Amino acid sequence: MNIRCFQRNFSAALPPLVPLQLPSPMETHLWYIMPDEVKNSALLNQYSELLSSCERESVSRMSGDQLKKRALLARALVRTTIARYQTNCQMNPRSLRFRKNLYGKPEVEWRNEDNFSPPPLHFNISHTSTMIACGVTVNVPIGIDIEEKQRRTKNNIIAFAQRYFSPYEVKVLTAISDPEVQRQEFIKLWTLKEAYVKALGKGFSAVPFKTFTIRFRDTTMRNFHPPGSSVSEESDIVVESSEDPTNPANNWQCALLEVAGSHYGAICMEKDRIAGENAPMKLTVWKTVPFVEDVCVSGTDAVLVLGGIIEQ
Amino acid sequence: MASLAASSISFQPPHALATSRVSGLKLVSFMNQGRNSLSFGLRPMPARVRISCAAKPETVDKVCEIVRKQLAVPSDKPVTGESKFAELGADSLDTVEIVMGLEEEFGITVEEDNAQSIATVLDAAELIDKLCSGKSA
Repeated sequence: MNIRCFQRNFSAALPPLVPLQLPSPMETHLWYIMPDEVKNSALLNQYSELLSSCERESVSRMSGDQLKKRALLARALVRTTIARYQTNCQMNPRSLRFRKNLYGKPEVEWRNEDNFSPPPLHFNISHTSTMIACGVTVNVPIGIDIEEKQRRTKNNIIAFAQRYFSPYEVKVLTAISDPEVQRQEFIKLWTLKEAYVKALGKGFSAVPFKTFTIRFRDTTMRNFHPPGSSVSEESDIVVESSEDPTNPANNWQCALLEVAGSHYGAICMEKDRIAGENAPMKLTVWKTVPFVEDVCVSGTDAVLVLGGIIEQ
Repeated sequence: MASLAASSISFQPPHALATSRVSGLKLVSFMNQGRNSLSFGLRPMPARVRISCAAKPETVDKVCEIVRKQLAVPSDKPVTGESKFAELGADSLDTVEIVMGLEEEFGITVEEDNAQSIATVLDAAELIDKLCSGKSA
C-alpha cells in the first residue's frame, strides 16, 4: 500500500472524479468536452484552481475570453482525465506535472518516488472552437486530431494539397467532382495526417506531410465477429511512407470518426505487438464535464466510425 | 510545417527559460514560480520604438495582415510583431495556411523545419526577409 497517497478530498467543493481502469492494450479512451456547454463561472474557477500557475499564465495570454476559456478547459480536461486512472490511489489532478519531449510533444512527468510505479499512460489532445478532446492509451503512443466538419480553408483545396500532401492523395482529392464532398474528404485526410504525425511525436519536420500517404483500403479479410458485437469494418486505413512504399507503416493503426455530429476525429496509435496484427482498435468514448457529468457515448450516434477497424 | 503546439496546448514547466526576441536583442524572462521578473518582454511595443528591428516593418505589417485575415481576428484586437499565432487562436491547419499564404505573397518556399519554428509574427517576418534576401543575393 502506497503510504504517500494524495489526499482524497483535495477540494471540498468538488466531488471526486469517477475512477476508471486503465485502457487495455490496443484500446483508446477518448474524452471530449463541448466548451459552449460549460458556462458556470464557479465551475470554471474551480478548473482554474487545478492548473499550475504557469498554465494559468498561458491561459491569460490567450487573446479574448473565448480563447482563454478554451485553453483553460483543455488543461482541465487533460489533468482530470489522467487523474481518473488510479493505480495505487487517487491522483490529484492539481499535482500532476507535465513536460515536453525532445520534439515538443507534451507528456506526463511522473514522480520518481519509492513504491510508486507510474502507469504507462500516453495521451494527446486536440481542440477546435467547439470541442476539446483527449485520447488516452496504455503502453503505446497516441495522436489525435479533431476538426469541425464545416471547417473551410482560405486557400484552394487542390492548391493546398499539391503543396503539402502526397501525389496519390492529390490524385484522390482531384478526382472528386463535388466541391463539398471534396472539402469533407480533405478535412478527413488532414485530421488523419495530423494524428499520425502527432502520434509519432517527433514534430512535423521529422515526417513532413508529403513523405507519407494515407489511404483507405477495403478489408479483404473479414474476421468472424459474433452477432451483437460492435466491430465496424468499413475499410482499413493504411499509412505508407514515400521513402519505402513497399513496406507500409504496419505498426500504426488509424481510426476516423464523426463525433457528436459536428466533428471529424482521427486517432492514430502504435499497435501493441502482443495483441496481434489484425486486432481491431478498441474504442470507448465519453462526453464529459469534469466533476459534473460523464456520459459514455460509444456505440451511439455521437460516435460514427468512418474508417478503420474499430470495436466499440 | 506547422508547430505542433498549435493543436495540443503548449506550456512550460515552471523553471523553463522563455526567450522572446525583440528588436534584435534576446530578452530572457525567468519564470520564477510562474511569475516573470522581467515584464516588458510580454507587452507589445509600438512599431515606431523598434528602430533596430531585425525584420523590415513593411514585412511585419504584411504578415500581420495575412495572419489577421486567416484567423479572422476582430478589428479591435491588436496583431503585432510579438503576437503569437497560438495566442490568437491558430490551430495547426491555420498555421499551415498562414505559411502557404506567406509563400504566395513573398514568392518563397518555407521548409518544414523553418515553419515549425515560427511562433510569432516577428518569427515569420524575419524568416521571410532572410529567404527574400537570400533569393536576390
